[in-house]
Amino acid sequence: MALVEIRDVHKKFGRVDVLKGVSLDVEEGEIVTIIGRSGSGKSTLLRCINALESVDAGEIRVEGEKVHARMRDLKKFRQRVGIVFQAFNLFPHLKVERNITLAPLLTGRIDKAKARALAEDVLTRVGLADKIDAWPEQLSGGQQQRVAIARCLAMAPHLMLFDEVTSALDPELVGEVLKVMEAMAKQGMTMILVTHEMGFARNVADRIVFMHQGRVWEQGPPAKLFANPETPELASFIASAK
Amino acid sequence: MRSFSLIDFVSLFAALRWTVVLVVLALAFGAPLALGLAMGRISRFAGMRWTMAAIIQIIQSVPLLGLLFFFYFGMPVFLGIQVPAIIAVTIAYTLYTAAFLGEIWRGGLEAVKQAQWEAGSCLGLSLWQQFRHIIAPQALRLSLPPTVGFLVQLIKGTSLASILGFVELARAGQVVSAATFQPLLTYALVAAIYFALCLPLTLWSRSLEARLDGSR
Repeated sequence: MALVEIRDVHKKFGRVDVLKGVSLDVEEGEIVTIIGRSGSGKSTLLRCINALESVDAGEIRVEGEKVHARMRDLKKFRQRVGIVFQAFNLFPHLKVERNITLAPLLTGRIDKAKARALAEDVLTRVGLADKIDAWPEQLSGGQQQRVAIARCLAMAPHLMLFDEVTSALDPELVGEVLKVMEAMAKQGMTMILVTHEMGFARNVADRIVFMHQGRVWEQGPPAKLFANPETPELASFIASAK
Repeated sequence: MRSFSLIDFVSLFAALRWTVVLVVLALAFGAPLALGLAMGRISRFAGMRWTMAAIIQIIQSVPLLGLLFFFYFGMPVFLGIQVPAIIAVTIAYTLYTAAFLGEIWRGGLEAVKQAQWEAGSCLGLSLWQQFRHIIAPQALRLSLPPTVGFLVQLIKGTSLASILGFVELARAGQVVSAATFQPLLTYALVAAIYFALCLPLTLWSRSLEARLDGSR
């Protein structure tokens, strides 16, 4: 059984069909990168996997459990599925340590005595152990995004979703975030990413999914997809992304 | 006629008691109600939002004097209930406080980005935990200056209770002024007392603002 099973998912915003029958499986430990033009439905699909949006038709299952916005165990579910956003969304009124430990403490995952150690551990994994007592706004964009990733890791999720996490960063800060993600990929985290970073998609992903007009247009291993796109849409997308 | 003496001075301060009592009552009942109104105003249910907005709109549109008259003189006429003056006044100030604070706090809550709620919910926090630990602290800091501004308004607004017979600071000023024929001195003193009451509040709010904004 795949970790994530997406079956014929449809989603409308008002009269706009954003997803028009998307099916996709993601295996445990797999790194799947979703690429495509703006408006192709990539981010919406990602948000549906985390039940931030509900699907109109079809179904999504994560670890066999059907996902929808009114699921009974939504809080428990969200603890297993982490998401990192384009805009970091750190809590500006809390220091880095508290940003990370707030949810594990409130959800009862850890007790107070272990909180600091947990924050140190996940910050070390993103290379920011020395920023544990900093305020978010004292950090650069890249550092903030790495803290956001650490905050997610602190919940020990089974699956992580990344929604264009480098798009808001200055070009020179993109690398440090991608490096952290690459390290996570090597440690076996199951990851689904929406990204415009073609280099990352090519080098790190196990599989590329090209979305176009609300559908999975083409998918496969990066080497094959980038070298021999089967559809003219993907070919022109790759050409324009270069 | 007699000259202005220590007794007059003391009677002004004694009257200050009512000013404080009215403010405390208004806040004690009005603030929780304001929080309810504010949360109702940002509810996901449209019916709830409209109801709360309507309540706030109605109360805000009536002059404070009108509210006081309504609950003191109007309730016996319209509802046939004779209530003690203190209760009528408390209801009026409570509603006044709730409507204005409610709207101030609603603004503070809405000024916190929606993405902050989302980030909390994505970490598995309940709606209440998101509100309590993520949204409310940020909204509080944003709302602090207008909240204290309203508090100062409220302190001065208690002077209207004098027309219903409450001998609070402003009314005591009238009495002393009539007895001593020294209106200039008396009212200057009254003004100074109001000022002395409000100034620390403003200063306190400034220091609190700086403290809550630890990141800067």
